[in-house]
Amino acid sequence: MENGTDLVVKGLRKTYGKNKVLRGIDFELKEGERVVVLGPSGSGKSTFLRCLNRLEEPTAGEIYFDGTLVTDRNIRKIRRNMGMVFQHFNLINNLTVMENLTLAPVKLRVMKRDAAEKRAKELLTHIGLLDKASAFPASLSGGQKQRIAIIRAMMLSPEVLLFDEPTSALDPEAIGDVLSLIRELADNGMTIMIVTHEMSFAKEIATRIVFVDKGQIIEEGTPKEFFEHPKTERVKEFLEKVL
Amino acid sequence: MSDFFSKVVELFSTPEYIDSLLHGFLLTLQVSYFAILIGIALGTLIALVDIAKPSKWMALPKMICRVYTTIVRGTPMALQLFIMFFIIFAIRGFPSIITAIVAFGLNSAAYTAEVIRGGILSVDNGQTEAGMALGLSRVTIFLRIVAPQAIKNIIPAMGNEIITVIKETAIVSMVGMYDLNMAAKDIGSGQNMASYIVPMFTAALFYLATIYLITFIVKRIEKGLRKSDLRAED
Repeated sequence: MENGTDLVVKGLRKTYGKNKVLRGIDFELKEGERVVVLGPSGSGKSTFLRCLNRLEEPTAGEIYFDGTLVTDRNIRKIRRNMGMVFQHFNLINNLTVMENLTLAPVKLRVMKRDAAEKRAKELLTHIGLLDKASAFPASLSGGQKQRIAIIRAMMLSPEVLLFDEPTSALDPEAIGDVLSLIRELADNGMTIMIVTHEMSFAKEIATRIVFVDKGQIIEEGTPKEFFEHPKTERVKEFLEKVL
Repeated sequence: MSDFFSKVVELFSTPEYIDSLLHGFLLTLQVSYFAILIGIALGTLIALVDIAKPSKWMALPKMICRVYTTIVRGTPMALQLFIMFFIIFAIRGFPSIITAIVAFGLNSAAYTAEVIRGGILSVDNGQTEAGMALGLSRVTIFLRIVAPQAIKNIIPAMGNEIITVIKETAIVSMVGMYDLNMAAKDIGSGQNMASYIVPMFTAALFYLATIYLITFIVKRIEKGLRKSDLRAED
């Protein structure tokens, strides 16, 4: 599919009881794009991301992935192609690093065990953590965990990677390591969507910025437009505070 | 004091007394063992029903489980035993050991269910979400990720439950069954030794030794399961 659209979101809403977290989001993500989602805390940006792979079930609206409507029935197949990296890493505590990396590819019959282990070793070597292959997550630092979580998502060769505040739980030194790994994926043409509070990284890596406030997208544009010529008062106010 | 020692000698040198104690002990172990097995099997089932996603198919089973645990945990074990003996299994010639096993098994299941439920719910939700985000099935997530972590929380509490059952089976003497507790009373009675001290302390030692052994085994299992919690081996 040339210039295929990876993801289309129409009228996405999410409510918890009376609390309207998402109030109608329309959004498109095209192959090769790197979208950074910004917004104040509580604006619904993480919920938005988590609705895309149905970790949160949308209250209303439709999500299409490569032209297919995402439903409860096909979600498992779609999740393979939509990797996710979490704020708190979520490495599986009872599995070694190697098992964390190979569990899904082997279980889902994407790869044979040998092939999966070979690929896992390559990726571990690449991030300089091959010596941790048989370690358990509890023995790793936050930065190590997050980089392993990223290559775990890459094991299935997904079309899109979703990052939910990937550096918010890390110390400054580890943040640098994690961001340079994300930057490298971006340079290799990965389609990426990131929720983050790292403004300078957003400016550097994004092909498009989306600003979410009170459950709606209120502004989007290139990083240059967004940071230098914001259109709405809300974004101006936000940028004054964070920059 | 010399009387005490002569009673000790009497107890351990009279084959009938030793035989009675061992018979009683065996009954205590049999009732406890099978009751605990029933408790684990039924308790696991109840826990799984309880944590299953709510749906129209699960509504009735969930309600049954809730009513069941409420009743069992809200009434005395001794009364439950009486109900089993004098109402539900009030059949002439029905083996009393089976009645007792069922009574204690059904009781233990309610507590075991709580232990297992708590153990499963204590596993961080992020672990499940990681599995979901990788496209794994609910069954795989449960078997490979949630259950192994839940077991670590379940084992210590389960050890307590096993100990409770073993001690609680002593009330079968109330319905005339000859368990370790009853044996101690019988040996100490006027027709036999005419002194309760030695047989009762001996029975106490049997209970203590059993429970000490179980505590030891549970600790060993716990230690084995903590392998993945160890930080870098330094």
